[in-house]
Amino acid sequence: MNFIAFLSFAVLVIIILTLVFGMGAYFLYKIRERQRRKGSDVITYEEFLDENGRKYMFFDEVKLK
Amino acid sequence: MRIILFFVTAILVGIVYIYFFYDLKLAFDSFQNGFINVSIVFIAFFTFIIIFRYISFLFFSLMKTAQKTAEFRFNDRYFNPRVTIIVPAYGEEVTIATSIKSLVNQTYKNLEILIMDDGSKDNTYKIAKKFEGYYKGKIIKVLTKKNGGKSRALNFAIERCSGELVMCVDADSKLEDDAVELMVRYFQDKEISAVAGSVFVSNTNNILTKLQALEYIEGLNMVRNGQAWLKLVNIIPGPIGMFRKSAIMEVGRYAHDTFAEDADLTLKLIERGHKIDFEPDAIAKTEAPDELLILLKQRYRWTRGILQAIRKHSAHLFKFTNFNFSVVLWYMLFEAIFWPFMDFFVNVFLIYISLSQGVNTLLVYWWLLFTIVDISGALYCILITNEKKTLAFYAVFYRLYFISIINIAKIFATIEEWFNIEMSWGKLERKGI
Repeated sequence: MNFIAFLSFAVLVIIILTLVFGMGAYFLYKIRERQRRKGSDVITYEEFLDENGRKYMFFDEVKLK
Repeated sequence: MRIILFFVTAILVGIVYIYFFYDLKLAFDSFQNGFINVSIVFIAFFTFIIIFRYISFLFFSLMKTAQKTAEFRFNDRYFNPRVTIIVPAYGEEVTIATSIKSLVNQTYKNLEILIMDDGSKDNTYKIAKKFEGYYKGKIIKVLTKKNGGKSRALNFAIERCSGELVMCVDADSKLEDDAVELMVRYFQDKEISAVAGSVFVSNTNNILTKLQALEYIEGLNMVRNGQAWLKLVNIIPGPIGMFRKSAIMEVGRYAHDTFAEDADLTLKLIERGHKIDFEPDAIAKTEAPDELLILLKQRYRWTRGILQAIRKHSAHLFKFTNFNFSVVLWYMLFEAIFWPFMDFFVNVFLIYISLSQGVNTLLVYWWLLFTIVDISGALYCILITNEKKTLAFYAVFYRLYFISIINIAKIFATIEEWFNIEMSWGKLERKGI
């Protein structure tokens, strides 16, 4: 096998691996973003207060059946 | 030395392209399929365009460097306008102190530094507030407002600043001490409305950040230097850009409807006929993402932002009443859409040819063409800056590994932008390196 043929083979392998790796990495990134977004749907009480001009909320105690 | 590099690159690329073209012709003759043959012609044309682009930018960059040497021979020492450096900051408690300290050391005297906290939930505002006052003849002001995004924060600060020139700097950037002084000189020319600076990567601690360092000097700084010869730099980077305040006000300041507010503002300036230059020696060092998924997030956001900015001005794509502006838009469209799609297509096509006909030397010539221009671009930039010479070595797998992965993110970002899929700004975590 001459050098150019070997190099061609190496480039081919790298191209295939990179494309598969790149696709995998992109979908991994999307999954991670989706999970983060789901997580950020829950806000802390302090964040809620900030959004409502720091008007405190009071809760009535309810007995669970 | 640079001229020799240019001619050696042009000759080498020419020779490899002939071999590449010859192999393409052999493939064309061996296939009887119409689609494959059209693809081969398309690939030959596409490769020529890309190589022509590289060589042109290398040439333009040479011309710009020569022009710059001539322009500043008669520098006006009494040109001393007030400059305001605006640092928009959201959740930058790790980096804000270092950023302020680097700005105070600027050699330019008539300086106001305005830290614009965009309603951070961490201690950014508290840390910045400690620096408020006068330091080394410079004024430091710290403002805060309710969180509303970078563009609103920048506009808020621009309205309240006292500088005739406004410099927008990201909080995670570290400016070289003479950056402001070097950029201000350009505004002696009344037609210049903005100047971009060079962005270097500060955290070259792994392969990914080293590849980005190569991309920044060769893919971004060299291209901007080339564009500057035509006074048509198409994106003023977030880490370092200086504007005439009157020009920003004239075009309606930063817009809120795009994720690439810097690209949008630059386009608005070019649309109004303003000239935009580049100073390669004005350097900002920025922290590049050191994890692949964070890098993909950054590139996804950049691509969608740039496409949003292009879409806003899409009417000019087909009516060439403002020729320069239309050319800039087409160029950006080519970089954002056409190039990534074609790069991916060529890779898939080469795999197909190799699997159907056996491993083909086209693969080597394709890789060699781009590696030659990447190494030359890197060497050229290393010659005109003080970047590490070892970066040129990374050009060997820059195209095959790095650009291919980035292009996949760009392609998906383009598709999602086309279908208008919702996206959020997101924040890149900084480590303050």
